[in-house]
Amino acid sequence: MRTDLFVMALVAILLSIVLGQLGFFDAARLMKGLRNMGTLTLEMLPPDASVLPVAGKALWETVQMSFAGTMLGFLVSLPLSILGTRHLFSAPLSNLSRLIAAGIRTVPVLLWAILFVILVGLGPLAGTLGVAAYTVGYLAKIYAELFEGTDPEIVEAVRGTGASRFHLVRFVVFPEGANAILTQLLFMLEYNIRASSILGFVGAGGVGFVMQVYLQTLEYRRLATVLLLILLVVLMMDGFGAWLRKRFLLVPQS
Amino acid sequence: MDSTDLALRAEGICFAYRGEEWVLKDISLSVPRGKATMIMGPSGSGKTTLMKVLAGILDPQRGRVEVLNHEIGKRTRRSLYSLIGYIPQQLGLVRNLTSLENVLMGALGRCGHGKVMLGLFPHHEIEQAQAALDLMGISDKSSEKVFRLSGGQRQRVAIARTLLQRPRVVLADEFVSDLDLDLASEILRLMRQVAEREQMTFIANMHEPQLVREFADQVLLLDHGELVRGLPRHGLQGQPSAEVFQ
Repeated sequence: MRTDLFVMALVAILLSIVLGQLGFFDAARLMKGLRNMGTLTLEMLPPDASVLPVAGKALWETVQMSFAGTMLGFLVSLPLSILGTRHLFSAPLSNLSRLIAAGIRTVPVLLWAILFVILVGLGPLAGTLGVAAYTVGYLAKIYAELFEGTDPEIVEAVRGTGASRFHLVRFVVFPEGANAILTQLLFMLEYNIRASSILGFVGAGGVGFVMQVYLQTLEYRRLATVLLLILLVVLMMDGFGAWLRKRFLLVPQS
Repeated sequence: MDSTDLALRAEGICFAYRGEEWVLKDISLSVPRGKATMIMGPSGSGKTTLMKVLAGILDPQRGRVEVLNHEIGKRTRRSLYSLIGYIPQQLGLVRNLTSLENVLMGALGRCGHGKVMLGLFPHHEIEQAQAALDLMGISDKSSEKVFRLSGGQRQRVAIARTLLQRPRVVLADEFVSDLDLDLASEILRLMRQVAEREQMTFIANMHEPQLVREFADQVLLLDHGELVRGLPRHGLQGQPSAEVFQ
């Protein structure tokens, strides 16, 4: 009990110090920020609907990039995560696979987009590849940990029937992890739609370019329309994800 | 007993989990072919560990296990699927697959990596899997996902999977311990029928003396990782469980 209190007090002190260093106790600056937020909000109203065709087209490109990037990343992450599962493959192989996934994950999605813009030029192809690369790094780690958590008793029972490790992957690891595989995939898709909204800032296609133009030309009413459209798409994705989970996810077993 | 009459022989088995005390201490045992041998012992006596060593899931630090004159170990286990079938305590069924798909797992050792990887099993294997479910009395549940089945139905699926595997020796680790006595007795009766029909040797960990009295041809008692004694089934007649363990 005393240790808990000590730890909590220590965390509180550390947090205060960090917040202070970051400027959180600068009341005048915070008040100015609040006033600016009010001004900006007023300047965004009412949203300018005349940009709907342009923004809608750009957002559609973002959705395409997210979907294609997520699915490509998912397809690459599956074998990588299987190789990273320690009770199925030898330690050197699984460590190498995890190292590759960690390396990919280290690079943020925006940097991936810049790299692919350099490699394949401006446009949605670079953005899609950037999203795919980031997805590989994230899902490969999550899935490798998920697969490693497969009930060893089931693995042993099926291995004893003469099943090879590829049989085990196909008939034990994937079906047992089906719920989590789908849940994480949907999460990744939702995340990528939000993340790829800004890839246009670096010339990697999608709605980000439009947002950047409206920001630079101070057309906040137009920017508000774009933000509302993104919100709508994210809400639709949430709804679609919920439907998909309800339709396909299995009832948890006892 | 002549070694050709033995289904399984273990000699001087010693096993300890990494950095811990011995769980099994110098265990030697013989199991005759085509008979039902049951291993009893209080909780923590090492029954599950012994079963895993006999099944080749764990390699003992000392001693050796032979099944029908083939040495058993982790390395050889997969290639010996036609000799040993193993039913773990929680049955080891894939919960998100159907009963039929789970039974078909028993045929994986005979199937390659072609169509099977797409879930397309050979027709004759599907027929035999369905026949196995029929024999277990749950053919109407063949397309039901396992997590929707009752405890007794799951047990039957696990036995049907072993039946399709067609091993010579079946090792079962307290696989009826979650069931009430009547249902456990019914499942064991089924298992016995299957074993007799297929001339399988059946070795099981069992907690309930009444079931042991009813189904065992040979009983082995394990206590603190040591084999206390072996006795024939009639040695348990009329003994309450407390006395059996004394």
